[in-house]
Amino acid sequence: MSLRPLTPPAQPSGPLSGLSRFIGGFRWAFMPVGLLALIAVGVHAAADTLDERLLSLVDLVDAAFDRLVGASTLTEGLVDLISLEQRTQIARGLALAWELSVDLVLALPALGYRESKGLEEEPWRKYLVQDTRPTWRQLFTRSLRKPTTLRWTRPLATAAVVVAGACAVARLVQGSVYLSWRTLLGDGVADATARGLALGALVGILATLGWRAVLRNLQHADTASEENVRNRWQAFSYGLVGSAVAVPLALAAALDAAPVLSFLR
Amino acid sequence: MFSRNARGLLDFLMAALCLWTAYHHTPAGALVRRASAWAFNTRSTARPLLAYYDGVSSSGVTTSALVPEVSLVRPISEAGALAYGTHLALKGLQPKARKPALALAAELGMSSEALLDEAKGPVAARKLLEALAGDFPNEEARLTAVFAGRIPARYALERVSAEGGTPTLEQLARQLPPGFEDAKVAANQALALTTAFGLAWPVPENTRIASPFGYRIHPTLGYRKLHTGVDLSVPQGTEVHGVEEGVVRRASEDAVNGRVLIIDHGRGVSTAYCHNSELLVKVGQRVKRGELIAHSGNTGRSTGPHLHYQLELASQPVDPLRFRAGTGPVATGSRP
Repeated sequence: MSLRPLTPPAQPSGPLSGLSRFIGGFRWAFMPVGLLALIAVGVHAAADTLDERLLSLVDLVDAAFDRLVGASTLTEGLVDLISLEQRTQIARGLALAWELSVDLVLALPALGYRESKGLEEEPWRKYLVQDTRPTWRQLFTRSLRKPTTLRWTRPLATAAVVVAGACAVARLVQGSVYLSWRTLLGDGVADATARGLALGALVGILATLGWRAVLRNLQHADTASEENVRNRWQAFSYGLVGSAVAVPLALAAALDAAPVLSFLR
Repeated sequence: MFSRNARGLLDFLMAALCLWTAYHHTPAGALVRRASAWAFNTRSTARPLLAYYDGVSSSGVTTSALVPEVSLVRPISEAGALAYGTHLALKGLQPKARKPALALAAELGMSSEALLDEAKGPVAARKLLEALAGDFPNEEARLTAVFAGRIPARYALERVSAEGGTPTLEQLARQLPPGFEDAKVAANQALALTTAFGLAWPVPENTRIASPFGYRIHPTLGYRKLHTGVDLSVPQGTEVHGVEEGVVRRASEDAVNGRVLIIDHGRGVSTAYCHNSELLVKVGQRVKRGELIAHSGNTGRSTGPHLHYQLELASQPVDPLRFRAGTGPVATGSRP
């Protein structure tokens, strides 16, 4: 048995450190909610770029419907069923339904996030049952050796929306800070402060929440795959619907809603 | 990456920032706000869920409600159209949301009354836009400057440029933080109205209008119904031209509209051409202003050869004659 004391090593004193440690004690509460919020913001940023494309899709479907019902005199009155204004509302409704579905698929697993404390911080933990959750490396190796749709699509989709979410938050910070502090600080100082804070928010979010959101989704996908996948067909089909819903939005997030470099210019 | 001492605080700050953004700027957040307002019996400040995909002015005025009540007396230039569209959108705003435009007017020594006046308004708006042309050569950035103010517009322009995008109104509006919702909607309305004023006519200018826009007894159905466009009396096979550059959103055939084309011109404006005998363009094709797109006909629910021409602003049908000067003769009867 180790002769190290059961008390943690001396912590640097100071009110800020104390406050930080105190707030850190509530990670179990705010981290899952923060991860969920970050994913929700990223998913919305992506969905917001899709409504025009959805409108084109609704138009195509409506044209096919009109052709079908217009073929008979009994049903031709249904051609006027959906007005142009309603088509736009339907497209927006689809965007909303899509966004909320992807929230369910990608953001809900974040609520299962649990923080594991290091033995250095809380040495008494070594006398408890050890945390058996796999590490990044183990998860990645398992994804390579036993690939499933879930293991590959969910973490990658989460990564894309997380970057889009961080960009959306950073953009909001920059705009709000610059335009509200400009009269107080002057143009140059407000601009520099806004840019600095936006970049700080982008880096901070990715460094604190971003990777955790991806890891949490990878853990969730891994657990679900371990429990439910028994053969190759299941490896492909399990979670396919959710992935099919999430991947296009993740692509939109990566291509249209993640201007990371713009915060460096 | 970060010092262990600061990690708790940093994690909390970043989580709080994300939570605040999600709560105020996503439909999921709006659902939570509505639910909590219901639970605590308070009034929710969340926008309607679908409005998160398109701004809705707090004044509740839609673009179609801003359409001028009478047709133009004479044709207007491009700059005149922009000024008239700006004046109309400005009139539709709540007094509080007009502040940036009125502040700009005051800077230029114009009275706020002049900007809102029916007769003097378009001239005043033109002066305002001309004064901004130096700083904002792009039309859409200029409109952002009128409705949001010079500084926010310059900021949005710089951000769009940093992102490497084109400064469309949509891109510019995306850069503006909360508090500019009314300005974004008004700028969109002004742009849609401006584009509508600049549209060409799909058939020869002096074509007789067989049935105008508005409620009428439908000639084949026999009951009162809104006629959502104008029926242009043209013989079978007349050339139909695109009224502005755009992308074909629909090229199909059905029993009511016959062979129909819908062209999206962007900026919230689209046009529809119904009852054609032949369509010459396909879905997704980009068409130029004046390009031959169809031959008119008598297909679908129609009692004689004509072209049903429809103009939509923000997806709502409006009377296309309100955007034209010297319209062709309008029939007194209402034939399809």
